[in-house]
Amino acid sequence: MNFKLTIGWLYPSLMSTYGDRGNVIVIEKRCQWREIETHLTRIEIDTTNRELESCDLILGGGAQDRQQEMAVSDLLKRKNVLKEMFDRGIPGLFVCGSPQLLGHYYVTGEGKKLPGLGIFDYVTQHFGNDKPRCIGNTIGKIDSKFEIRNSKFKNTIVGFENHGGRTYLGKDCVPFAQVIKGYGNNGEDKTEGAVYKNVIACYYHGPFLSKNPHVADWLIKTALELKYKKEIELDPLDDELEWKAHEEILNRMNMK
Amino acid sequence: MSGDPFNRLDPTNWRFFQSYHSWFRSYLMIIFLKVMGYVLRFFHLGSGATWPGEVFLEFYHRPLVYFIPKFKEGIIFVAGTNGKTTTTSMIVSLLEKSEGGKIVTNDTGANLLNGVISACINAYSWSGNTDFDWGVFEVDENSLPSVLMNVQCSMPNEKKIVLILLNLFRDQLDRYGEVDAIARKWEKALRMLPSHAQLILNADDPQIAYFGKSVKLKTHYFGINQKENYLKIKDHAIDSAYCPNCWNSLTYEGIYFSHLGIWRCDKCGFKRPPVANINIKSHLPGLYSLYNLYAAYLAGAAAGISKEDTEKTLSDFKPAFGRQEEVEIDRKKVKIFLSKNPAGFNASIRAVLDLKPKAILLVLNDRIPDGRDVSWIYDVDFEIVPPIVSVICSGDRVYDMVVRMKYAIKHWNNETMKQLMVEEKLSDALKRGLSMLNKRETLYVLPTYSAMLETRKILTGKKIL
Repeated sequence: MNFKLTIGWLYPSLMSTYGDRGNVIVIEKRCQWREIETHLTRIEIDTTNRELESCDLILGGGAQDRQQEMAVSDLLKRKNVLKEMFDRGIPGLFVCGSPQLLGHYYVTGEGKKLPGLGIFDYVTQHFGNDKPRCIGNTIGKIDSKFEIRNSKFKNTIVGFENHGGRTYLGKDCVPFAQVIKGYGNNGEDKTEGAVYKNVIACYYHGPFLSKNPHVADWLIKTALELKYKKEIELDPLDDELEWKAHEEILNRMNMK
Repeated sequence: MSGDPFNRLDPTNWRFFQSYHSWFRSYLMIIFLKVMGYVLRFFHLGSGATWPGEVFLEFYHRPLVYFIPKFKEGIIFVAGTNGKTTTTSMIVSLLEKSEGGKIVTNDTGANLLNGVISACINAYSWSGNTDFDWGVFEVDENSLPSVLMNVQCSMPNEKKIVLILLNLFRDQLDRYGEVDAIARKWEKALRMLPSHAQLILNADDPQIAYFGKSVKLKTHYFGINQKENYLKIKDHAIDSAYCPNCWNSLTYEGIYFSHLGIWRCDKCGFKRPPVANINIKSHLPGLYSLYNLYAAYLAGAAAGISKEDTEKTLSDFKPAFGRQEEVEIDRKKVKIFLSKNPAGFNASIRAVLDLKPKAILLVLNDRIPDGRDVSWIYDVDFEIVPPIVSVICSGDRVYDMVVRMKYAIKHWNNETMKQLMVEEKLSDALKRGLSMLNKRETLYVLPTYSAMLETRKILTGKKIL
C-alpha cells in the first residue's frame, strides 16, 4: 500500500525565523526514504480552512514580534478548526516561539497581553528585557510514550533554546520533557514544553527533529496511523549520523 | 581648551599648567595602553586588538570623542551583516592610494567599540603626536548605536562623516536579536547624527533604503541593475519581504539574493530608490561583491577622490583575509569563502558553483564569534549543490553539518552518500580535500568565522588577531 501524508506548515513566510524549516525537511526526507509520498501545504493568511483541514501533520516555528502578531490574529480565526483537528488526534510539532500562541495568553516584554488559542493549558509571560533570555544548548528526558517499534529509541532529546518568555503549565497540563540541562519552560520547575493529545509544543529552537529522529518518526507514524486507521510499522533507516549529532550535545554537556 | 586635553597647548594660556597636566595624563594612558597591546600580541596573551580599547572605555564615557578631533579629513563607518570587512579594506586602499595620508582602521575585524578605540590607540605615535587624515572603521551591528553616540556632538562641520549601510540579514539570533529590532535601533541612532553627515545606502535592501526616507540626511544610493542576474528560485532565508514603511508585503520585479532586489510596495508606493550609475570591471567572483564595490566607490566620491583613481584602485582590489582568499599548496589551490550566516552562505555557494568545483569543504564551528546556535544551516539552500560535487564536512559541529547535507541530497543512495564525507579534524579535512584534486585544481572552503581563522592558520602557518 502506498502511504501519503499531507504536511501543513504554519505561516512559512511569517514564522520561519531560524532554521525552523529544518523540521519540514526532516519529515519530508524521512518519508521519502521510506517511499511515503508527501505533500507540503503552506498555510498562509489567505489559505482556506479546507486546505488546513486536509493536513495530516502540523508544523509551526518562530517569528519576529511583528510577524507573530500577524500570525496570531489569523490563527485566532481558525481556532475551532485547529482545536477540532488536534482533538481528532492529528499530530503536531510547535517549536521556538510558536508554543506561546497555543496557550491561554502571552504577556509581551512591554506588558501587552495577547490572547492565545487556549488549546494548551498554560500561560506565558515575558518579564521585560532586563530579565535575561533563556539561551543555550539543552537536553531533556522524554518518556517511553514516544518509543516506536523498528526505530532506535533514546529517552533524551537535544537542541538549542532561545526565548525571552517564561511558560507556566496548568495543573493538568502534561510536560513534553523533563529538563536535564538548560532552562525549559521557565527555568524553575524543570518542565520542558507540553503535550496535548498528539501535539508537542516545546521551546527547542529551529530544526529540532534533525538531531531527534525518534521524535520525527513518532510524528510520522502517529499521522499515518490516524489517517489509515491501522497499526503501521515504519521501515528502519540508517540514522548513524543523526545519533552522532545527538550524542555530540550529550557529550558536550557531560551527559554520557 | 581644557575640553580637549590632547591638543598641544598655548603656554600663554593661564590654564596651561592645569591643562598640560591633563594632557600628559592622557598621553601616559595612551602610551601605556599601546605598550599593553604590544605585550598582549607578543606573548599571545589575549587580543591586542580589543583590550587596550576595553581599558580606555573604563575611563571615558564617550571614548571616541577624544579621538575624533584627530582626524583631519573625517571618519567613515561601515556597517551591515555581510561585506563590512571587504568594503572597509576597499575604502582604505582607495584613500591610501589616492590621498596618501595616514589612515586609521580596525582591519583585524575587531569591530566593537573597544576595537575601534584600540585601533586609534595603536595608531598614536610614541611622542603623542597625531596626524591622522581619515578614520575608516567597520562597526558591528549591535555596536553601531554606541559608536554613533560618540559622533553626535563632537563632529565639527568641516570634517566629513560618512556612514555606509550595506545590508541586514538574519545572523546569530542568539547574539544580535531579530533583524527588525536591529533596524529600529539603527534608525534611532541615525537620527542623532549631525546634519552634515552623509549616508551611503543599499537601495536593493528595503530595510536599508528606508533609512533614506526616515532619516533626513544627505543620502546616496547604490544598487545592482542587471536583469540577467535575477534569481530563478527565491532563497529560503528572506528577512525583509515586508514594506518597512507600511508593513504590506513587497512585490519584487527581480531578486538578486535573499531579499535584495528591485522591490516596490503596491500599497503605500514606497519603492527602491534610483541608484548611482557605476561602471567598474572587477575580477571578484560573486554578484554580492558588486555591492561592496559600489559602496566603496560612493565612499570614494564622498571623500573627494576622482572617478579615475577610484575605478583604477577598485578594479585591482585584492580581497581581505578569508574573503575569497587564495592559498597555493603543492601547485593545488585552496580558496576560502567566509560564510557566516544564511545569506552569506547562499551567496558563497552560488559564487563557488559558478567556478565549477570538484570538491568543497564546509566547516561549521559554534564558538562565540560564530554564534552558539547552528540552527541557521537549515536556512541555507544546500539543495542546489549538484551531486557530482564532493562535499567534506568538518568543524566543531561536524555532525550537524553532515546531517544537514544528508537531508539536502535529492536522490539519496549509496552512490550519492559517497560524495558526502566527514572529517572531525580540520587539518585532516583539508588534506583529504586536496588529495582529491589534480594539480592546478581548487578546493573551495566555506567556513564560519572562527573556522576561517583556523583554516588560514593551518594553511599559512600565520595567525591573525
